[in-house]
Amino acid sequence: MKPVRTAASYSLPIFVLLAYLLMYVPIVVLIFYSFNGGQTPHQWEGFSLVWYRELFASVEILDALRNSLIVAFSSVVLSVVMGLFFVFYSARTVLQNFLFLFYGSLAAPEVVLAVGLLSFFAFFSIPLGLTTLIAAHTLVGLSYVTPILYSSFKGLDYRITEASLDLGATEWQTFTKVIVPMLSPAIMGASLLVFIISFDDFILSFFCSGASTMTLPMYIFATIRSGATPVINALSTLLLVMSSLAVLVFTLFRVRTRVF
Amino acid sequence: MIPALLWQILFLYLPLVFIIFVSFLKDIDYLVVGNLSLQHYTDLLKPIYLKIWGRSLSLAFFTSTLCLAIAYPVAYFLVFRIKRMRNLLLFLLVLPFWANFLVLVYAWFFVLEQGGILNSFLLNLGIISEPLRILNTQFAVYLVMLFCFLPFMVMPIYSSMEKINKSIFEASFDLGANRWQTLTRIIMPLSSSGIRTGFFLVFIPAFGEFVVPLLLGGGKTMYVGSLISFLFLETKSIEWGAAFTCVSGIILIVAVFALNKLLKTIFGKERV
Repeated sequence: MKPVRTAASYSLPIFVLLAYLLMYVPIVVLIFYSFNGGQTPHQWEGFSLVWYRELFASVEILDALRNSLIVAFSSVVLSVVMGLFFVFYSARTVLQNFLFLFYGSLAAPEVVLAVGLLSFFAFFSIPLGLTTLIAAHTLVGLSYVTPILYSSFKGLDYRITEASLDLGATEWQTFTKVIVPMLSPAIMGASLLVFIISFDDFILSFFCSGASTMTLPMYIFATIRSGATPVINALSTLLLVMSSLAVLVFTLFRVRTRVF
Repeated sequence: MIPALLWQILFLYLPLVFIIFVSFLKDIDYLVVGNLSLQHYTDLLKPIYLKIWGRSLSLAFFTSTLCLAIAYPVAYFLVFRIKRMRNLLLFLLVLPFWANFLVLVYAWFFVLEQGGILNSFLLNLGIISEPLRILNTQFAVYLVMLFCFLPFMVMPIYSSMEKINKSIFEASFDLGANRWQTLTRIIMPLSSSGIRTGFFLVFIPAFGEFVVPLLLGGGKTMYVGSLISFLFLETKSIEWGAAFTCVSGIILIVAVFALNKLLKTIFGKERV
């Protein structure tokens, strides 16, 4: 028997449609205006790609992009390598009870972590810059990477490790030739996640980067505050394209990175 | 194995302990016992600071509650009501989760500004005769917070609902429950862990938020995050900022525990 269609049965789809509309109307309008030829960011004056050309000609933006990429790549490498070591060498030892320490930076508001780090760096007179930024992003990266890698490592059959050791492989060989290849889907997923988190992060960068180092989100923030230029529309659109590609990669490879 | 733990201790737990320590110092440059004082804490007992905490609590509470009110029906619809378009809708739901937060916030300028699409829409409909000033108001702050944090609420609820066996509906209807009873007595308790995760994924960052109030609220109204960043970055009064951060942290912890209890009584506990 087909369920009777009443007005009430349409209210849920309409509600959901409205929610999606409100989520996406601003984004669609932003993308639309990135192809605007005019000088003001929010006034339509005909199609043009001029702001994309401007974008790639801006030294400031390319510089910020370079900083963002350096920080993101470094924190991915550092957090994944350290996370792997932690997972491989601490599983089945007393150290695995300290896994909860990695959730700390997820439980506090980012601004608290940021001022903690800032005053810590200031007290030891560590100059702010790319290094301090990488330290901060690696901290957050580790708190995502370690639980993900830990749960996939626990999902492996431990007898594989035992077999490898029995057959004469050293611990290091077991780690590099057996465990790391088997964990590679999780490693891929975790790396992508940390890359995006670092690349998009604003609050930690705002506090821990000092006056001279600017990342892409910091550039966007500064530009919005001082009166947006149309270049921001083009830049935002490219960042949205990048995020959608990341989501696609995740769905295609079915990487499991449930943090919650 | 050690480097990862060391990194956490060095860059997270040590700085937090350091902040607590500094908050009891009169002057950060002198680490002597005579320099200890509670002065920064007693200075905080003024109505103006209580107002800031109240404002941030209210922002966090209303953002997470409204997010829940929107996210729950959306997740429910995606899990239980549709099959064909689910992957596309899920993709659209996940995308903002991965997108740059500042880009999402910036996109709202096109909607809310004087000549923006909301004003032209209302003008064309004849509801208003003059463009409204929406930017730099509390309304703009609440609205943008709601939609920028929505993905953080939907995802955990979606994951917890996905695990529910669909035949539970038939069982519930067979045993005489109506739709409403099935929703409130079966589905809500079974997804309550997702509700609580989502609630705190929104509540905690919203409590410390300063970017949205700064960009869309005009920066004139102080929130917890704005005052913290002001004290640390503009006036460089680290000791005082540390005291304010510590009290804010305690308020947040108390609020999270209280709300967790409240949510458990409203939505029920899982008994699996």
